[in-house]
Amino acid sequence: MDTNLEKLGYQWITATSDSVDVESEYYCQTKDIFEARNDRMSEELIIRGMDDGLAYLIYAIAGELGNNSFDHNIGNWPNVMGIFYAFDYDGKNGILVIADRGIGVLGSLKNAVSNLKDDKEALEIAFTKKISSRVLENRGNGLKFIKSNVSEKNFTLEFISGNAKADLNHDMKISEAEQLIAGCLAILKF
Amino acid sequence: MKIEIIKYGDKLVSRPSGREVFLSMESNILKDLSNDEPIEIDFAGVKALTPSWADEVITKIAQRFKKVSLVNTENMTVQATLKTLREYSDLKV
Repeated sequence: MDTNLEKLGYQWITATSDSVDVESEYYCQTKDIFEARNDRMSEELIIRGMDDGLAYLIYAIAGELGNNSFDHNIGNWPNVMGIFYAFDYDGKNGILVIADRGIGVLGSLKNAVSNLKDDKEALEIAFTKKISSRVLENRGNGLKFIKSNVSEKNFTLEFISGNAKADLNHDMKISEAEQLIAGCLAILKF
Repeated sequence: MKIEIIKYGDKLVSRPSGREVFLSMESNILKDLSNDEPIEIDFAGVKALTPSWADEVITKIAQRFKKVSLVNTENMTVQATLKTLREYSDLKV
């Protein structure tokens, strides 16, 4: 399994706006590119020996993460639009890295949830609370879906946005991120 | 009325594509139906479903019609999505 992907994802999201590697094979500028690559991932996981059901579950998780990035930042990208999307699976262990340089979870939620304190509270709400808002309608269920499946399948997920980090397995722990991430960075290990 | 979800694709992931599907349903197969019409939603053949797509289609059908049933829901992502919608989107079926 290529553990370098994690490092590449960090580099991509923390680079200054004029030095982001937009030539990277892992960069998806538009949603169409992401969706085509994500479609291929599910088939690739199956070819490498993964059970079909599990492969499509990981595909669905990646779909929610990647589409969130595009849907919540449409017309509002602070600098480089699009996402970093990479995965690897060696037949036993796998990794998926998705990152965007967007407005982050706090930026997405603050119009819908009043009095949000900080990035930590935004992550807590995004992963656990039912959000009743005309602005978001039924949006925001993707991260709850991911949390539930990470727990049930014994995956791990590190999700960083702003200066908050959520570590998920059977439980979720929210802490201060070591490094500020403008946007969102998700690292799923399966 | 039976709605075969596979007719809209076997990987149903994004919210905009779900929205397009529901708009199409509203102007075609659901157009002249009474709210009392029994609706059977069939997931046979679906490989991947997410809450984003399903919120735009399944939740909206369930909000409009009184008698909705779901069949062939064994797929792992269908099960997981329905669980999420029941918990967070007030899906009652």
